[in-house]
Amino acid sequence: MSAFVSISLVYLAIYTLSAWSLNLQYGYAGIINFGWIVFQSIGAYVAATTALGSPTSGGFQTYIFGARLGFPLPLIMGTLAGAALALLLGLIILTRRIRPDFQAIIMLVVAIIAAEVVSTNTALFNGANGLSNVPQPFNGVMHLSYNNYQWFFVAFSFALCIIVYFGLEWICRSSWGRALRAMREDDILASHVGINVQALRIVVFVIGGAIAGFSGALLVEFLGTWSPDAWSFVESFVVFVSVYVGGRANNRGAIIGAFLVPVVFGTMPSFLPEFGYPGLSANLEWLVIAALWLTTFYLRPAGILPEGRFIARRTRAREQAPVMPPIAKQGSVA
Amino acid sequence: MLAPSIDRPSSMTAQPALLAVRDLTVDYGGVRAVGGITLHVGRGEIVGLIGPNGAGKSSALNAISGDVPASGGTVVLNGRDVTRLAAYRRSRLGLGRTFQTAKVFEGLTVYEGLVTAVRGASGASLWQTIIGRGRRLEEEQAGERAWRMLDQAGLDHIADLFGRELSGGQRRFVDLTLALIKEPQMLVLDEPMVGVAPSLVPRLLNQLRSVAAQGTGILIVEHALEVVAALCDRVVVMAAGQVIAQGTYDEIAADTEVRRAYLS
Amino acid sequence: MNLYIEAIGFGVIAASSIALGAMGFTLQFGLTNVLNVGYGATMSFGAIVAYAAHLTGMSIWLALICGGIATSGLTLLSAKTLLRVYAKRGAALFEMAMVTFGIALIVEYAIASITENNTFSLTIAIEHTHALGPIRFTDVQLALVILAVVVFILLDGFLRLTKVGTALRATAVDPDLARASGIATGRIVTIAWLLSGFLCGLAGGVFTIDILTVNAFTGDSLLSLVIVAALMGTAGSVRGAALAALLLGIATQLVSAAGASGYASAVAYGVLAVVLLARPKSVQGGLVADRVQITV
Repeated sequence: MSAFVSISLVYLAIYTLSAWSLNLQYGYAGIINFGWIVFQSIGAYVAATTALGSPTSGGFQTYIFGARLGFPLPLIMGTLAGAALALLLGLIILTRRIRPDFQAIIMLVVAIIAAEVVSTNTALFNGANGLSNVPQPFNGVMHLSYNNYQWFFVAFSFALCIIVYFGLEWICRSSWGRALRAMREDDILASHVGINVQALRIVVFVIGGAIAGFSGALLVEFLGTWSPDAWSFVESFVVFVSVYVGGRANNRGAIIGAFLVPVVFGTMPSFLPEFGYPGLSANLEWLVIAALWLTTFYLRPAGILPEGRFIARRTRAREQAPVMPPIAKQGSVA
Repeated sequence: MLAPSIDRPSSMTAQPALLAVRDLTVDYGGVRAVGGITLHVGRGEIVGLIGPNGAGKSSALNAISGDVPASGGTVVLNGRDVTRLAAYRRSRLGLGRTFQTAKVFEGLTVYEGLVTAVRGASGASLWQTIIGRGRRLEEEQAGERAWRMLDQAGLDHIADLFGRELSGGQRRFVDLTLALIKEPQMLVLDEPMVGVAPSLVPRLLNQLRSVAAQGTGILIVEHALEVVAALCDRVVVMAAGQVIAQGTYDEIAADTEVRRAYLS
Repeated sequence: MNLYIEAIGFGVIAASSIALGAMGFTLQFGLTNVLNVGYGATMSFGAIVAYAAHLTGMSIWLALICGGIATSGLTLLSAKTLLRVYAKRGAALFEMAMVTFGIALIVEYAIASITENNTFSLTIAIEHTHALGPIRFTDVQLALVILAVVVFILLDGFLRLTKVGTALRATAVDPDLARASGIATGRIVTIAWLLSGFLCGLAGGVFTIDILTVNAFTGDSLLSLVIVAALMGTAGSVRGAALAALLLGIATQLVSAAGASGYASAVAYGVLAVVLLARPKSVQGGLVADRVQITV
């Protein structure tokens, strides 16, 4: 029971980071990153290979570059890898003006090509079998029991989430975040108010990619394994659904979305006793997630916690100005 | 290179034009929409661009503002060749524009949109946002400016409305204000009177006159000839991608070629 | 050398299912602007129905038609219920694609649940093989290629020579203008969904006959190539889709023959990415995307 709760909580932390990453890219900036999972995946692979040490010849797994770096470094490397991949793909794809659904297709295509290349080429990250035995941070030095270590990881990942949350809220509520939303609403108009839309898109894509890479690195440090099965392109759809269910451009909504979609309906059922033929519960999981998406999008298209309305306040100097007409504030009009 | 060479009427002073367009051509996949037009707008001058449907007015405007690439010719803004510059660079150099169907930020409140337009480049830089000293001060000043624009129009009650909640006339106002709030040197307007209630047209005309009086050049595409007659210092007539006449409204109205272009 | 010539032969056979699928996809996409990511799932549906019909003792060719008709019905049903509901609420282009993704998951996992995740194999007696130079076709393979060619000729003729076909093309180019000139665009869109669904089911069935196995996810492995072919050939163009399918079929088989079979579809995707990035005209956003209308 304790293991069930602690594992679910770690997943909650990781899927929350995932949803934040995509929420920044899609919810705030309007970039349709339908290949989101690739960024999480490269973070996981790079964190794994930089924690595993150099591959021994004749060992059971093969991979490129390999190093045995101490604790925060694999996480940092994974984060940087996500950012670097985002920079590369952003420069190729986001500098062009492409119809949004086609942009989605291109990103999807990137995800499928990546999965195929990684599965086929065992020299990269051990092919379809994936990497395993990735050491867990501090587990060697703290001598905790299995259960206690799980709870330690819960606290560790929650602490990281809190840091990311405040960082994200700060930049999203700044004038920069407002520029992101302006770009999302209308990139042509945004460029006519002086915003360099292409550069802004790439910057936000890189930050989102970094968070995605970070979430992957954290996940692989927890699970100890990572293989192409873990990152089929459908996973990007799941993260999109969490962003939609929680509410686009709302970081608190993303937490709710991450809790409801991948954790409650995606992870928890694997703890239920098996019923029917093998694989039935996994099938039902997908049916439920798809139905959840279609119903929420119908009933609450803006999500459970929609993007709020900014209520402008006059600065004190203006409020005292005698010539001011009375301020008619609009509450909620929608 | 940057010294603009403009054919200007002898009556004008030697001061270089604010906007100088020379031999501008625009192609859409093999179709020539604009076939080498030359025109100029001086400081404080209001120039009307008229012509029948399909004459290439909007294409010319889009090429001037940087929304479609020019396939030939040059656009010089304030002595600087901007032909190859992206729209946001032209905006930072003092070019503002409005759109035929008024554009507003649908999911931002009016206030947020206006403040974004004031902050522009500096608000969109993450680095400046993180390290920028006096960040709050800039925000406050931008807010002041937004309130002032809203107050002047008597529309401060729409500050917290989302763009998608605005009426047609309010959208026109916001679209124009997004261009005006940065005090552009050159303003390019694409049929700004469409959808504006007739009773408000004189007010809008006055606003444009006062903007021009402060030295801003205005190029305006307009179908309503009475507006052109009332507002414009000079009129440029386009037909089939070419400039067929230039002059004051009265001169243009007397021109037989212009009449033929409008009738055909 | 012979290896590569044989690969071309295999490519032509593979192209028959890709072409059928791509023609249906492009017809529907060109007309409605809904990027139907659920097309793979409905191809699986067509394949499963055809297989089930064949199990009851029906000839495989008749079963193929059954699969087509059933898929046609399913496609129209989901378009006129779910897709229409979301389109009416003003869902954006990408959101419509997300909706079709949701429908795809439901169709696929419903099939998987009913078939208990089984993969079924098909046995078809081969009576003759034919040699075309160094390329050898079996009876069945030849029949699949002929079927695809016949469908292409019929569809192309339908679009170019009949009144309904002309109306269909006109609606794809400019729905407003088509409506203004008296075309009942609603009915035309319905016809497009039906035709697209039929071709989709046919493609799934033909693919199954080609690879001789079928499960709930059969269509997914074909979907990628179908979308690539349809988009390469310009949305709405049946001739373009057919030609692109032929090229893709041959290209993927050549890559496999060169010993890189794991990369066969990566190559196809690479081609698509290059096409989409290099040919912005047909896929342009911004000023153009504003005018793209969803009609369901």
